[in-house]
Amino acid sequence: MLFPSDQFAIFFPIVLALSWALMSRPALWKPFILLASYVFYASASWRFCFLLAGITLGNQLAAVLIARTSDERRRAWLLRGAVALDLAALGVFKYYSFFAQQIASLLGHLGLGVPVPLVTIALPVGISFFTFQAISYVVDVRRRVVEPASLIDAAVYLSFFPHLVAGPIVRAREFLPQLRSPRDRNRVAVGSGVSLIALGLIKKVVIADYLARVLVDPVFAVPQAYAGPDALLAAYGYTAQIYCDFSGYTDMAIGLALLLGYVFPQNFRSPYRATGFRDFWRRWHMTLSRFLRDFLFIPLGGSRGGKLLTYRNLMITMVLAGLWHGAAWTFVLWGTFHGLGLVTEHALKGRLRLPAWLRWLLTFHLIVFGWILFRSQSLALTGTFLSRLAHPGALTLASATVVGAIVIVIGLQLLPSRGLEVVQLRFERMRPLALAGILTLVILFVGATVPSQGVPPFIYFRF
Amino acid sequence: MGRFDRLGLRNFRARDAVFVVLVSAVLLILFQGASVRKAGHEMNPGVGRDLVLAVGRPAGWIADRLPLASVSSSATAFLSPEPSLGGPGGFEEGGARTRSAGIPLVTRDAFEPANIGAPRPARRALHTLLVTGDSMSMPLDADLAQLLAPRGVRVIRDPHIGTGISTTFIVNWAKLSALQVKQDHPEAVVVFIGANDGFPMKGPSGREVSCCNAEWAAIYANRVRQIANTYRQAGAGRVYWLTLPTPRDPARQAIARVVNAAIEVAAQPWADEVRVIDTVPVFTPGEVYRDSMNVGGTQTLVREADGIHLNGPGSSLLAGIVLARIKQDFIL
Repeated sequence: MLFPSDQFAIFFPIVLALSWALMSRPALWKPFILLASYVFYASASWRFCFLLAGITLGNQLAAVLIARTSDERRRAWLLRGAVALDLAALGVFKYYSFFAQQIASLLGHLGLGVPVPLVTIALPVGISFFTFQAISYVVDVRRRVVEPASLIDAAVYLSFFPHLVAGPIVRAREFLPQLRSPRDRNRVAVGSGVSLIALGLIKKVVIADYLARVLVDPVFAVPQAYAGPDALLAAYGYTAQIYCDFSGYTDMAIGLALLLGYVFPQNFRSPYRATGFRDFWRRWHMTLSRFLRDFLFIPLGGSRGGKLLTYRNLMITMVLAGLWHGAAWTFVLWGTFHGLGLVTEHALKGRLRLPAWLRWLLTFHLIVFGWILFRSQSLALTGTFLSRLAHPGALTLASATVVGAIVIVIGLQLLPSRGLEVVQLRFERMRPLALAGILTLVILFVGATVPSQGVPPFIYFRF
Repeated sequence: MGRFDRLGLRNFRARDAVFVVLVSAVLLILFQGASVRKAGHEMNPGVGRDLVLAVGRPAGWIADRLPLASVSSSATAFLSPEPSLGGPGGFEEGGARTRSAGIPLVTRDAFEPANIGAPRPARRALHTLLVTGDSMSMPLDADLAQLLAPRGVRVIRDPHIGTGISTTFIVNWAKLSALQVKQDHPEAVVVFIGANDGFPMKGPSGREVSCCNAEWAAIYANRVRQIANTYRQAGAGRVYWLTLPTPRDPARQAIARVVNAAIEVAAQPWADEVRVIDTVPVFTPGEVYRDSMNVGGTQTLVREADGIHLNGPGSSLLAGIVLARIKQDFIL
C-alpha cells in the first residue's frame, strides 16, 4: 500500500479518526495502532508479518534479558545474539541470492560445482529499515540509553506504519518516550503535517516520477542510444529524481506521523547545498548517517586510532552503507566512491583552501557522478553510460519542463532557507478548512499527472 | 524535532487533524469517487479489493451523479501523461467487428507455412523495432535496445506495467496497438505480455466468461489475434510474440498454460508474419518452474524473486534468442 494510492486514502482517515478516539486509553490505542500497522504491512505481503513479528519478539527478549543482568560479558553476548538475528534476517532475504550467484559464478569459472542452492528469495518491504531500528533498540538498551520497553511498545515502535517501509530510521530513544504517555490532543502540528504530505506528493508524483518517465529511465536503460548531452542531462535528472522520490516519501511519513501526534526526526536538509562529502552525509538520509556513525563507525574505532585506522573505518562504513542500499556491485562501487571521497577530504583537511562556490561545484558534481554508479543496472552499463558522456551529439531530451524541474529542485536548495521557511510557515498556520481545501486541490492535480499504470514504487522501497 | 514546538506549530487540536483529513476525503469522493471504484476493479481478487470496492462503489455512485468529476477532469486533462485512446476500435465491439474487418477467426486446421517447406521471404533492413507488453517486457526492451542501438536500429520501448489482454481497466490493447502502429510504423514488434492476465472477459454472446476454460482461451486468442493483426500491418510488419515462462505459483501456472496455448492458436493464420517464440522450453522445460539454469556453462539465477519475471541475466538470454529470430527476417 503506497501512500499515494486509493487504498491508503481509505485506510488513513479511518485509522486517524480511530487513533484519536482511542488515544486517551493506551490499553486500547496500542493494540489498535499495532493492528493497523500490521494490516498496512500485510497489504504488501501477509507472510512477512511473521518475519516482522519474529524480529520484534527476538529483539524484545534480548532487550529484557540484557536489562536484567549486570554482568557485562553476558550483556555483550546477548547483544551479539540479537544483532546476529537481525543481520541473519537481512542476509537471507536481501543478500542470499546475490552472494550465492557470485559464489556459483566463481566456482563455475573454476570448473567446480555449485555448493549452495541457487534460489531467488522475495525481499520483504522495509526489512533494511526495521532491522536497523531493532538493532538501535537493543544497542541502546545495552548502552543503558533506554530502558527496555514493554512488548507492545517495542512492537509499535518497530511496526508503526508511517516509518515502517522506508524510514526515517527513528531511534528507540526518540520514539519510546512518545509512546509512554498519550499524545496531547490540544497540541497537534496539523498545518505542518498537511503541508508535508502535500509537498511530499508533489515531489514524488509530479517531479520524481515525471523525470523518471521522460528522461532518466530511457537513458539509463539504453545509454548506447544517447549522446553526451542527453546522458549528462539524465545524470542531473536522476540527481533531482532520487532526492524528490526519497525526501518526498520522508515528508509524507513525517506528515502522517504528525497528524497522529508523533514527531519523527528530520531526514534531509538541502543535501545538494553540501560543500563536501562529510557535509553531504549530514544533509542526506540523516537518520541513516547517524545510525552508521553510532553503530558502525564509532564501534569500529571511529577516528580515535590515528589516520590510517580512521580511513579504514570510513571505508568499511561506506562500503557497507553502499551494500545496505542493495545487493549489487553498483551499490558497492557507489559506497566505495563515497568512502574514498570522505577519506580524501579527511586527508586534505586544512591543506587545500578553495572558495566556497568552487567547493560546492566540485562536491555537487562528484555527488552526481556517484548517482550514475548508483542508478546503473550493472557495472557494464555504468561503463557504457560514462563513455557516452564523452560522445558528441545532440541534446534531444531537453524540454522546458524537464530542465525547469531539475533547476527548481536543485536551485531551491541553494537559496537562503529563510525565505522558503516564511512561505512554509504561512501554510502551516492556515485554518483547518483552508488546509483541507489545499490538500484536496493538491491531490486532484497530483492525481491528474499519474499515468494509467499507477504510481511507481518509491526507489527506497527496494532497499 | 524541536521545530514544531519552537515555531509554535503545535497550535491545532486533534479534531482539526481528523476534520482536515475527513473533509479532504469527502471532497475527493465528490470529485474522484469513480476512480476509487476503478482502482478496486483493477486490483486482484482478495480482501483488499473487496474493501476498496466497498468504499469505491458508493463513492463512485455519488460521483456519477454529480458534474464535479468532469469539471476536475477537464481542468486537469492537460496534466495527463497518457495518449488519448478514445473512439472506436476496442475489444468491446467484439466478434462482429472482427469478422467485418476481415480478420479470420481461429480454426483448427490452421498451420505454419514453414512446416510444409514454403520458402522464406527475402530478408530486409530493420529500421524500427517496437518492444512492448506488460512488465514481462522489462528489462527485455532495454536488453534488445542495447543490442540493436549500435546497429542503427531505432528501438521503441513501450512497456505498460500492470496491464493485460484480458483486462481493459488500465489500457485497451486493441486500441493501444493501433495507436503504436499509427505513431511509429515499426517493421518488427516484440510482444511479451500475460503476467497479469486471467480476468473474466465478455464472450460473443455478451456473457462474462471466467478463466481458464476453452471458451476463455478462445476469447483470449481472438484478442491476441486482433492485436497481432494490427502489428503485422497487412504483411508489412513482423511480430515476435513471446509465450510466458512457467511461473512459480501453481495458480498462475494454470493461467500461463492457457495464455500460451491461446497465443499459439491466435498466430496460426499468419505463421509467416507472426512468430511465436516459446520461452517454456528455454526457461522451464516440461513446464517445471526453476529459479536458475545453466547459462554459458555457469549455473545462473534467471528469475526474479516473484517467480514470474525474468531477472537481468534471464532477460539477456531471452534477448539473444529473440535477436537470433529477428535476424532470420531482417538484415542486421
